[in-house]
Amino acid sequence: MRLVLTLIATLAAGPALAAGGTDPDWPCIQRKQPHLSLGQMWTGPMPDEATLQLARDSRIVALAERLEQRRLPMDQAEAQIAAFAETADNMRLTALMQAVLDRIEPDRSALIGGIARYGNRQVALARRIEERRATMAAMEAAETPDFDAIDAEERALDWDRRIFTERQQSLTYVCETPVILEQRAFALARAIASHLTD
Amino acid sequence: MKHLLTLTPALVLFGLAEPAQANRVFVTNEKGNDVTVLDSQTLEVIGTYPVGNRPRGITISPDGKELYVCASDDNLVRVFDPETMEELHTLPSGPDPELFVLHPSANPLYIANEDDNLVTVVDVKTHQVLAEIPVGVEPEGMGVSPDGRIVINTSETTNMAHFIDSESFEIVANVLVDSRPRFAEYNHDGTKLYVSSEIGGTVSVIDPATQQITKKITFEVPGVLPEAVQPVGVRVSSDGRKVFVALGPSNRVAVIDGETDEVRDYLLVGQRVWQMAFTPDEKYLFTTNGNSNDVSVIDVASEEVVKSVAVGQQPWGVVVAPDATAN
Repeated sequence: MRLVLTLIATLAAGPALAAGGTDPDWPCIQRKQPHLSLGQMWTGPMPDEATLQLARDSRIVALAERLEQRRLPMDQAEAQIAAFAETADNMRLTALMQAVLDRIEPDRSALIGGIARYGNRQVALARRIEERRATMAAMEAAETPDFDAIDAEERALDWDRRIFTERQQSLTYVCETPVILEQRAFALARAIASHLTD
Repeated sequence: MKHLLTLTPALVLFGLAEPAQANRVFVTNEKGNDVTVLDSQTLEVIGTYPVGNRPRGITISPDGKELYVCASDDNLVRVFDPETMEELHTLPSGPDPELFVLHPSANPLYIANEDDNLVTVVDVKTHQVLAEIPVGVEPEGMGVSPDGRIVINTSETTNMAHFIDSESFEIVANVLVDSRPRFAEYNHDGTKLYVSSEIGGTVSVIDPATQQITKKITFEVPGVLPEAVQPVGVRVSSDGRKVFVALGPSNRVAVIDGETDEVRDYLLVGQRVWQMAFTPDEKYLFTTNGNSNDVSVIDVASEEVVKSVAVGQQPWGVVVAPDATAN
């Protein structure tokens, strides 16, 4: 059991650098938490091989997929979990938790990868804006300025600035999403764990 | 006489039912820009009050008359009446105050300024800055020895615990600890200093007399990726026998034997647990969970989480009011 856990931990461990706030691929104010693990939200039994197998059972997978959807309000999610728990033992509840995490974790990781690319594109765009500014300054300083070319450069600069600003504003929302997914996983774990029996 | 006899059992019952005093619990909500106030006995929310921009560190005077809040984005400390939550005045703090510690004598206040590598010392009576002490890069954690002679500051980037003479404001020693030290806490008799390292994932136990690290506490939470184990807040019971360490995004609080410094248990609380505070009778320990927007209540004797209470947006700091004095 311990071996399995260590293996999972080793496979899933992301760059430790991330949490230090010095990661160039992380444009968000929130601390980067590259991966979620079961122990962060679950004190029930740790899944063994049979439970991991059960987590792929079609009925459990179907329920996990419904629960993962954020458009499903938490009170309805809790009701669906309660209905499932009526006939489920601790092993099935643990399998459901694992199935939920198996869905949320890859989505969240993919999202974090997307944020890194988004951040890098912003850095590139900021650099291009700087270059355009320098080009314009050079054009304006010329002995015989080409005003048509300056106008064209200015229009391009305006567009880049506008795109940069709008993307920067969406970044605030984008950065919230990994936390929202983490909150969802935690809330579902609490709801499932409330049906565990001693 | 008859009256007395009938009254006595009622009084005894009443006394037994309410052995502890109800204290106010104050929680800063970093994103909500407010403080949630709870009742330590009913564990219910009393109210939520605006306190300025990005409130983080919070503490209260030993007489319970003044509540101090680091309003990080206002670059000052705001002082409130804990009963009415009316703002009394402000204190200069230097830029971006994050955490602070009040001298055991109730004055002065030592404030970590994260952005300009200083600890600012402020007289809470005259509201004057007494000193600005240059420390390492990104100062954060602040602790004070029980006798009030040494103030500790930790610098997140320099990875040091600085020992500062509380009167001369000189740094008298530096101890190198693991990466990103966040918090410093002495035990009851000042024989041990606990310094948490968020990225290093350890708590250094330092002998304050020799300034040597005597032990490094490490954490291994079953089923949790090591990178999620990020120690931040530390609290030691007044007899020094129980040490609690908040482990950030692992959502756990480690329970440590204060004599052997061995980890005994990991309690599941809420998401991204950072700071903690005891009630004066040490019946409860409150934890702030920044991502689940709640406070967990730990029963200290049984070492169990007994309740989680929803508070504001991104809870950060917590302090419990002292017992009211009988006068």
